Amino acid sequence: MSAATPVRPTASANEAPSPDAKPRNIGDGTVAAPAPKASPFVATMIRLLRYAAASRARFVISVVLILVDRTIGTFRPLIIGSMAGVLAAGGPQSELERLVLLLGGITLFLWIEGAILERTVARVAQDALYRLRTDLVDRIQGLSLDFYDRQPIGELMSGVTNDSEAVSQFLSNGFSSALSSIVQIVTTLIAMLLLSVELTAVAVAIIPIVVIASSVIERVAGPAFAQLQSKFGETSGFQEEVLSGEKAIIAYNRQDLASDIHAGYSEVVRDVGARAQFTGLLAYPVSQFVGSLQVALLGLVGGILVIEGSLSIAVVVSFFGYSGRLSEPISQLGQILASALKASAGASRIFAIIDEKPSVVEEAGAVDLPTIDGRVVFDHVDFSYVPGRRILHDNSFVAEPGQKIGLVGPTGAGKSTILNVLTRYYDIDSGSISIDGHDVRHIALDSLRLQVGTVLQEPFLFSDTVMSNLRYARDGATDDECIAAAKDANAHDFILGLPQGYETVLTDRGANLSAGQRQMLTIARAMVADPRILILDEATSSVDTRTEKLIQSALAKLQEGRTSFVIAHRLSTIRDSAQILVIDAGRIVERGTHEELLAMDGLYRTLYEGQFRGTRGIESAEAT
Amino acid sequence: MFPGLRKVLGLYRGYRLHLAASQALMIGAVVCTLLVQGLNARLIDQGIQARDIDVVIQTAVVMIAIAAVAGVLFALNAAYAVLFSEHTAHYARDTTFRKIQTLSFGNIDRFRTSALLVRLSSDVENVRTAVLYGVMFLLPAPISIVVAVLLGLVTAPSLAPVMVGVLVVVAVVLAVILGGIQPLYDRRQQRLDAVNNVLQEQLAGVRVVKAFVREDYERQRFARSADGLREASLAPALRLALFMPTINFVIYGGIALLYWFGGRAVIAGTGLAVGDIVAFAGYLTAAVVPMALLAYLLPILSQGEASVARIIEVLDATAEVQDRPDAAPLDAAAMRGRVAFEHVSFGYRGADGRPAAIVLHDIDFVAEPGQTVGFLGATGSGKTSLVSLVPRFYDVVEGRVTIDGTDVREISQEQLRDIVGVALQEAVLFSGDIRGNITLGRPIDDDAMTAAAVAADAAGFVDYLPGQYDGAVARRGYNFSGGQRQRLAIARALAGSPAVVILDDSTSAVDVAAEGRIQSGVQDLMGGATRLYVAQRISAVLTADRIVLLDAGRQVAVGSHADLHRTSALYREIYESQLGPTDVPFQPDSGAPPATPPVAAPATDLPATPVGDVTEPGR
Repeated sequence: MSAATPVRPTASANEAPSPDAKPRNIGDGTVAAPAPKASPFVATMIRLLRYAAASRARFVISVVLILVDRTIGTFRPLIIGSMAGVLAAGGPQSELERLVLLLGGITLFLWIEGAILERTVARVAQDALYRLRTDLVDRIQGLSLDFYDRQPIGELMSGVTNDSEAVSQFLSNGFSSALSSIVQIVTTLIAMLLLSVELTAVAVAIIPIVVIASSVIERVAGPAFAQLQSKFGETSGFQEEVLSGEKAIIAYNRQDLASDIHAGYSEVVRDVGARAQFTGLLAYPVSQFVGSLQVALLGLVGGILVIEGSLSIAVVVSFFGYSGRLSEPISQLGQILASALKASAGASRIFAIIDEKPSVVEEAGAVDLPTIDGRVVFDHVDFSYVPGRRILHDNSFVAEPGQKIGLVGPTGAGKSTILNVLTRYYDIDSGSISIDGHDVRHIALDSLRLQVGTVLQEPFLFSDTVMSNLRYARDGATDDECIAAAKDANAHDFILGLPQGYETVLTDRGANLSAGQRQMLTIARAMVADPRILILDEATSSVDTRTEKLIQSALAKLQEGRTSFVIAHRLSTIRDSAQILVIDAGRIVERGTHEELLAMDGLYRTLYEGQFRGTRGIESAEAT
Repeated sequence: MFPGLRKVLGLYRGYRLHLAASQALMIGAVVCTLLVQGLNARLIDQGIQARDIDVVIQTAVVMIAIAAVAGVLFALNAAYAVLFSEHTAHYARDTTFRKIQTLSFGNIDRFRTSALLVRLSSDVENVRTAVLYGVMFLLPAPISIVVAVLLGLVTAPSLAPVMVGVLVVVAVVLAVILGGIQPLYDRRQQRLDAVNNVLQEQLAGVRVVKAFVREDYERQRFARSADGLREASLAPALRLALFMPTINFVIYGGIALLYWFGGRAVIAGTGLAVGDIVAFAGYLTAAVVPMALLAYLLPILSQGEASVARIIEVLDATAEVQDRPDAAPLDAAAMRGRVAFEHVSFGYRGADGRPAAIVLHDIDFVAEPGQTVGFLGATGSGKTSLVSLVPRFYDVVEGRVTIDGTDVREISQEQLRDIVGVALQEAVLFSGDIRGNITLGRPIDDDAMTAAAVAADAAGFVDYLPGQYDGAVARRGYNFSGGQRQRLAIARALAGSPAVVILDDSTSAVDVAAEGRIQSGVQDLMGGATRLYVAQRISAVLTADRIVLLDAGRQVAVGSHADLHRTSALYREIYESQLGPTDVPFQPDSGAPPATPPVAAPATDLPATPVGDVTEPGR
């Protein structure tokens, strides 16, 4: 196993921009990047563009074809105007036929070229998205657990999904539209100026109307949509609250009341939504009107100029075409900018994750941990998740190879934390942790974790076959080894009872198994890993007495010959420990065997008796 | 196409006028826009060509006026379309919510809360968007096309073949490119879901991934899945990439033909003028655009269609528990609350709505008014299922449950749930205040509310709150501890003075002393009611008049603590695993409830080193 956990190992590392690298020119230099003082928006856009530019050849082809497409396209209104001019002059027919053939030829060319362009752009966009997604996950996989502590998984997930959707929309359309809009505006303006400065002035004079109208609309619609969003949120909140408490609503006949309150929320969404949507849609009639206004004004001014004899009718007809070619991209730029802002917000959140640095970093030249006996030594270990808020104080203990160590204490005392620092999910503040004399900070992370097996409180399984779930524990484990482990974990019998035995696919992470079966599978999985040191965070979900016995015997088998640490929620399971550590507020306050601790008449005894009184005194779920 | 969306258009009857108005306005707007094109011809031919400045000015002014009218009509059309779509969305949201409120526990279990929420939010939103754009752009499309074609034919009948030819080609292009694209979109959606599932699983299982050092494996797994998505996204994108270039090709090809044929006619002087050709080109484009829009509408429409189907699935659901049409009204106040299970069997329904495995077999017991009956057994033994049958959250499969001799299926659910007060296993609080959470809007006066809070041992902490019973409760009661939430849920069950009180493991998060206070409080307040207690902890049912011991859905023993301790091995096993072995079984006080929790008693003479812990096997 490679020792490069925190380092992004894939080929894309060459292409993916590192966070602090200065923006540089892209590809063949078609896009000039401003200096580092660029605003966050520009910087994010450039970084996104570099994902697109990574498919170098296709990217260059796209840019060239956009330039070609918009430049050649500019000739179409000119030709159509010229044809009208020929007709107005009454001929000659040969000239008309020449122009028609020219238009036909250009149209045919633009068809083929346009198809190639659009398809290339689609490929560039999808490749960029693929690269962005895999970069993101490459990094997420390399981050330490503190990252997950800071971000609730649900939030992270919906963030990543929504953000990549916004980026996806922009990558598929935004970049190419932005470039082609700009090229179209420039080429159209050049053509117009060459034909008639006066008519260009008329066409351009209308642009401020478009800009002002759309900014007015934006100023009204923006807040309206923000209000809609918040009303929508309130309504969803109410729906969520009622539906998650639906059984209580049913039990007390409150359905009608809930419906009536909901109708009130829904009406507000309807009314606020109607206002927001309407203002948003106003851009459409405005652009329709401006289009017609342009044609009328060009006809008016152009007509007068033609009658005065200073302009040909061909130019006026050409301008009918050019006016649309000019105002269309201008009104589109607003939408492109809006989608760019959305994409930039999304992308910056994604980049923020890609730029995260793992907090636990392997030392340069860290060596693999040789096969160990399992002697664990904590020496004056201090630790805090958040600087300044110490969780573990001065923890020292020794676990000899093969010993069973029980950890007990109230919720939040730091039991799980001790095991989190043992496997170096977090780095300690001071003191040292060593295994068979090797300080965990000096050894390769993977080689450490491969020798420490964990059975977690909440059995987590993947939505895959039973066999794949077992083999997950060790790359290269054979089917026979997995089946042997399942037998040892008392799981073999129920697995054979599943519809396809070991090849049964677990749905929804094992929702088709009972809680006890899931626990037995995770025990079997830990057996496949065959670790030297074992960490058991006892399951809290209660199972029936028979299953409980099977699980306990499986766990006992798993612990045989291994140094094991058991976080107990029922003291009965750790009574036979070689040593029990009683943790309170991050300190080891008592230690010894069960009998010794009871005799001490301290916290352990209190916990023990509390349990017998029925209180769930030594609670589980330590908040990590 | 889109049968669901078409159905939705008829859903909101109150706003049919909006729909009609929006269509009429849209057609007016389209006609005005086309008139501007026609006037363009006049401006060129009778103005510029004829060198008549007055006509030029006149025509231009009329064009601007008509364009302004068209703009206003477009805006009004948008207003009506928006109103129609928002009202339809509101109607769908309201109707769906009301429908959900008629459903039973079983329906809710099967639909899952998260899925129902999606239907109320994003599905309704998809429908709204589809209706809005459909009404604005799709419905008026046929008429727009017809008007454009007619104007073209009036202008230059000889050019009709070009117009018809272009439209036919566009239709073929649409059919070829868009036909069969839906499965490609569906496949993309599946792959997107797959990518999200992989990511979700990696995030949720991060500790497992790290524990087994499988980061690289997960990276590859994600990359494979993302590659699948890239491929699936590319398929419809590549196809759609042909669309706009092809439409442009057809339009400009048509214009070329127009000038080829029409131009010859103009030069030959057969009555066609330059302006006619220019205007005709405008009509041609105007006829193609609504068809081309279909490419952009199609994904929106099919998404809306899929959402309609999901909403209809909810609307078509039938509540699992139904009142009998002939359910006779009872005098709720006269109910005494004698609960009898007569050979009851019960099973939940499977995901397909059909009866699945039986989870309760032949349950048969009576709980007399004034009695406390405890239900004990391991997780999954059927305790909660059993008590759910009393307020008829689910219907029995065999046998019957009666209250005062009346089958609960003969009582209307509304009355039944006034008779039976349940504190559910999950203590749900709603945002608002304490008062609202106890009364839930029922007509319960302050005295009854306070008495219920006292009995549920909630009055103590409520009195310390700022505002006491007006104290704020955050969403789902997050500002209260689990034990406090449970006590408020119990108060809620007691406040309605029901004849039958059910506490479904409702004291699991409170300590033993508080549990004792609650039990005696309930006894004091509801002494005449039948009390059914479900418990994980044996301490919660020790003092019950009768204990029903369940194992794997069967009632294995019924009796008092003393009876069961004597006769049932399973009971002794549970007792000893929880309270430790004792030679002298606990004897409940048969008289008044003890002031101090009696359950503390066994702990006082706890041996220093108990032997033979039954939960520990094989030692």
